[in-house]
Amino acid sequence: MSVASYLARRAAQKERVRILYRRALKDTLNWAVHRHLFYPDADALRERFEANRNVEDIELIERMITAGEAAHDKWRHPDPYIVPWAPGGSKFCRNPTPPAGIEIVYNYGREDND
Amino acid sequence: MASALKSTVLRHIRVPISQTLTVNGSRLTAVRLMSSSHDDHLDKKEVADRVLDVIKSYPKVDPSKVTPDVHFQKDLGLDSLDSVEIVMALEEEFKLDIPDKEADKIDSLPLAIEYIYNHPMAS
Repeated sequence: MSVASYLARRAAQKERVRILYRRALKDTLNWAVHRHLFYPDADALRERFEANRNVEDIELIERMITAGEAAHDKWRHPDPYIVPWAPGGSKFCRNPTPPAGIEIVYNYGREDND
Repeated sequence: MASALKSTVLRHIRVPISQTLTVNGSRLTAVRLMSSSHDDHLDKKEVADRVLDVIKSYPKVDPSKVTPDVHFQKDLGLDSLDSVEIVMALEEEFKLDIPDKEADKIDSLPLAIEYIYNHPMAS
C-alpha cells in the first residue's frame, strides 16, 4: 500500500472518529437529565476514546470505529434535543411577527360585496 | 479553491438597497432578510468576545494564551477531540446546530468567529 493512500485512509479514519465522538457527546447530553450528571458521563466517554489513542494497526482501527458506530447507533436517544429553529425543533417554520406598519386586510377584495 | 474564491468575491460585493416602501408614513426597506425567529443580528465584536470567553473557560486552555487568531491544535496544544468539545460548547453558547461535516472543519478561532457571525440563527 502506498504512503499516500495510507495517509488518506488515516485522515478519513480520523474524521470518522471526530464525528463519532461529536455525535456520542451530543447523545450523552441527551441521556443526562442534568448538567451535573452530564460531566462525569462525558469524562467516561472521553476515557473510552483515549484508551485507544495509541492503536496503530489500520485494520484494527477500522474495526473499532465500525464497532463504535454500531454501539452508538444502538444506544441513540429516541427523542434527542433539537435546537428550536432546526428542522424538528419546536420553533421550526413558525412565522415571525410582521414588521411594524404592515396591516393585514382580512376581507381583501370583498369589501363592497358583503 | 472555488469556494474560497467565491467567498472572497462575495465579501467585496455590496448590493445597494434602492427600493424603499412607504407604509403608513414609515419607511421600510423593501428587501427584508429571511429571518424567522429574530430580526436583530449579532455584531462581530460581540461574537468575538463571546467566542473568546468560551475558549478561555475551557479547562485545558491557558486563558492568557487565547487571542483572536489562535489555532486550537497548533497554538493551544489541544487535540482533535478537544476541538470537537470546543465546537460543541460554541454551539450551546450561540444556540446553533452546526452540521457534523461543517463543525469538523472549524479548527481555529478566526474560522469559528467567521462561521458564527455569518450564521443567520446565531443568538
